[in-house]
Amino acid sequence: MGFGHCIGMCGPIVVSLSLNLKDKNFLIPHLLYSAGRVVTYSILGGVMGVTGSFTLVASHIAGIQKGAMILAGILIIIMGLAMSGWISFGKVFGDSYNPGSFVSKGFQRLSRAKSPAAYFPIGLLLGLLPCGPVYTALLAAAGAGMKAAGPLEAIIKGMGVMLCFGLGTVPALFLVAKLADMGWLKKRELIYRIGAILMVAVGIYFIIKGIRY
Amino acid sequence: MKQNISTGRRQRYFAKTQVLKIALSFLILLGILVLSSVVARGPAMAADTMINCDAHKGVCSQSSGALTVSLEITPRPVKAMQDLVFKVSITGASPAEPPHIDLGMPAMKMGPNQVALKPTGPGTYEGTGVVVRCPSGKRTWFANVIVPGSGEVKFIFDVIY
Repeated sequence: MGFGHCIGMCGPIVVSLSLNLKDKNFLIPHLLYSAGRVVTYSILGGVMGVTGSFTLVASHIAGIQKGAMILAGILIIIMGLAMSGWISFGKVFGDSYNPGSFVSKGFQRLSRAKSPAAYFPIGLLLGLLPCGPVYTALLAAAGAGMKAAGPLEAIIKGMGVMLCFGLGTVPALFLVAKLADMGWLKKRELIYRIGAILMVAVGIYFIIKGIRY
Repeated sequence: MKQNISTGRRQRYFAKTQVLKIALSFLILLGILVLSSVVARGPAMAADTMINCDAHKGVCSQSSGALTVSLEITPRPVKAMQDLVFKVSITGASPAEPPHIDLGMPAMKMGPNQVALKPTGPGTYEGTGVVVRCPSGKRTWFANVIVPGSGEVKFIFDVIY
């Protein structure tokens, strides 16, 4: 079931991440990205399990999820702009651009998220994205927690449900990552520029969705 | 001279191959994005025109053969992401086991979301469940009441986000 939905909802993000890797190996970064998502899902599952109430937790994390969606959009746009090489950080920040400042350093790190380790926190963050099947799995985690004998068992059961769910999403997103991996192309500049336009469009879509969510 | 012609041909061949590869990779990227939106939606259905229950107003009834099922969802208006009570009454069948409800979206696969129903009287059942919010913004959901041994009846309704 989740195969199609994962490709539909998270496919554009995975394509963006793959393009951002350019000619680097996609395997480790995408494994780390998925590991980050699965960790976030498992933590949410544990919380659902111990509270036994989906609606209680969901109402508390709604604001965070909205923020995650907007942040994901910004992240994708920055990655796209940095990848295209069209806009330098000096132009993005205008005259007030200070290469040594905390903000510009942070944005540079985000845009240069090519180090495999950077994909783990990205996965942690994007695991918070609002998604129908994630909600449904969290409902199951809350249900599993309600049937548990004690709080520890409830946490473990909730985490277990979400761990299995998260692992189930990995093959679909890996397939998309592999398809979007352009490592076989020798002259990739044009496709990266086209990809950058797609990334900016996807980023704007995420921001609009996040604002309206 | 011959070497120059050969080098020129090779360069032209290389350029042609690269153009083809770039076009192919662009098509792959575009294909992923288009396919992803199609695949996520599941079977194409005109969801908005299929609504057969105004769950915000009160009880809905649907029949399938001899089986007639009434469904009431409270509190009203029916909102996503809140605990809902599903009250079901059945006529024309006496199931050996209690029925259950499968919740889903006609336009999007959302994963198994089942509401277990408990008997509250002769032919009446009740259970709690949650309609989750779909970030796509689509609001049409279905509640498929499955009566073991007697069939199933589908209620299609809108929820409020």
